[in-house]
Amino acid sequence: MENLFVYTNVAANTREAVFAFLSAKIVEVGKATNEQAVKIGLKQREAEGTTGMMDGFAIPHAKSESIEEPTIIILKLTNAVAWDSLDGQPIKYVIALFIPAAEAGTSHLALLSQMARMLMDEGFKQAFITASTQEEIVGLIDFKLEGMLKK
Amino acid sequence: MAKYRLIVATGCPTGIAHTYMAQEALEQAAKKKGISIKVETHGQVGVENRLTDQEIIEAEAVIIAADKDVQPERFAGKRIIDVSVSKGIKEADQLIAAALNGEGVISEKVEMAEGDKEKQHAQQSIGHSIYKNLMNGVSHMLPFVVSGGVLIAISFLWGIYSADPANAQYNEFAANLNRIGGFAMSMMVPVLSAFIAEGIAKRPGLVVGFVGGLIASDGGTGFLGGIISGFLAGYVVLGLIKALKPLPKTLDGLKAIFLYPVLGVLITGLIMTVISGPMASINEGMMDFLAGFENSSPLVLGVIVGCMCAFDMGGPINKAAYVTGTALLAQGNTSFMAGVSAACIAPPLITGFAVLLFGKYFEPNEKNAGLVNFILGSTHITEGAIPFAAKDPLRVLPIMMLGSSIAAVLTYFFRVQVPAPHGGFLVLPVVTHGLLWVLAILAGSIAGGVLLGLVQKRKSLSV
Repeated sequence: MENLFVYTNVAANTREAVFAFLSAKIVEVGKATNEQAVKIGLKQREAEGTTGMMDGFAIPHAKSESIEEPTIIILKLTNAVAWDSLDGQPIKYVIALFIPAAEAGTSHLALLSQMARMLMDEGFKQAFITASTQEEIVGLIDFKLEGMLKK
Repeated sequence: MAKYRLIVATGCPTGIAHTYMAQEALEQAAKKKGISIKVETHGQVGVENRLTDQEIIEAEAVIIAADKDVQPERFAGKRIIDVSVSKGIKEADQLIAAALNGEGVISEKVEMAEGDKEKQHAQQSIGHSIYKNLMNGVSHMLPFVVSGGVLIAISFLWGIYSADPANAQYNEFAANLNRIGGFAMSMMVPVLSAFIAEGIAKRPGLVVGFVGGLIASDGGTGFLGGIISGFLAGYVVLGLIKALKPLPKTLDGLKAIFLYPVLGVLITGLIMTVISGPMASINEGMMDFLAGFENSSPLVLGVIVGCMCAFDMGGPINKAAYVTGTALLAQGNTSFMAGVSAACIAPPLITGFAVLLFGKYFEPNEKNAGLVNFILGSTHITEGAIPFAAKDPLRVLPIMMLGSSIAAVLTYFFRVQVPAPHGGFLVLPVVTHGLLWVLAILAGSIAGGVLLGLVQKRKSLSV
């Protein structure tokens, strides 16, 4: 998948810092034009309800005019960050989804939703936590997405 | 068709992640217990896996795991467990168990929807809820404007008087097109009002909004009156729901079918009648006011005519300018009408240029409506701009007024003469200085279009 970016060993101490990192990265890889708008989008979604899930996973997302293509950015953090998550655990794994405001009803959006569904899969979570390199993680997700699309 | 013991509706604000995680979690939990389940998702891509009426009837219980409106009124009479979407993700197993254990609340028809609505209202900021209800009205109104406007525009191809049996241009088919289009257009204000009210007070608001909108439309208040009646109807019904709460539950059926509609229509109707009353005098007053400027400088006259035409697009103030124009036309003054026509043609074109130049900041259906407005504008059907203006009157109307003023001022400067009261660019062959007239209108429309596009851009970036 060409719209999937993985960064391991990301040092961030707060949720705010994670958002700043994500917004900078998505502009850097050329999938969004306005860093500030993306960051506001992430914060606004967070204000509507936490995206911190269970077992150290968070799934922040933003919808903005500034985002040009549906994109997934995955971070493995060096230390866990407080996130007000569903089970109260701090967050170590961030799976961020970025959605163009104009996009509706495309297969790309379905892919983002498949990504979210994966977090409900214990097998995937375990494999994700053990995977240590970018290649391993990308391979794992590609494999899972393929399986899901066939289903 | 398969039967499902449990049915679920999930939804979250963005509609990308939580909606589907809750679906996955609940499906897995049901599978573990060997229970048949169907999960309807309300996501960004729309509603998927939609529950049919039959499935709703046959299900034992309903789980709603949503932070947005998933139309719970469909589940009236069912046992419902209503939780947030995150509960659906985190406590899927417990939810399934609870649903099988007979937990949950049996919803009663109107009461349930109301309770939910009130909860939602408390959560939403006032500005957001006004915008959402306005949009509900505008999106339902849009197809009426487009279908009616385009049919009327087509009828002009036989000549702008083709619907008038007394005129040489009369053509029966064209007259029918014009009449059919006219019916669609006449539904515009009632539908706007009805669905604003529906957004606020759900089903009980619909009828009250419709009638209020008819009164507004009949009273000549234009779309601004429709907005007022929509909000009025919605809040009158919400008020009634509150006021009638102490009545015993056995009267619930009576409330929905009798008390809300009768009292709601009565109260809203009376207030709207009072509000539409002065419209005729506003109209006359504006005509007198305008007559005093008939011979003033192009700049002053153009600004006044431009602002009047674009202010309410079909309401009393616009009509005052238009009727004055036709009256002066009958007296042989063809230059006054030129400015009025220019100012009436500009607003739809402004929306057209806005979506043409700033397309990516508009919703897809708005974009298409804007492009259709090139046809409506070119044929003097100002109403095409109303869906855009109704969405955000405080910001859009001043832009329309500015664009229309530019078009009218330039028209008066160029000494254009238009001897026809309608028809837009279709009457160009009989217009004196027709090319300059088109230029004047384009100048106003492009200026307005750029401004409207910039405003939309700023709005969409800030969300």
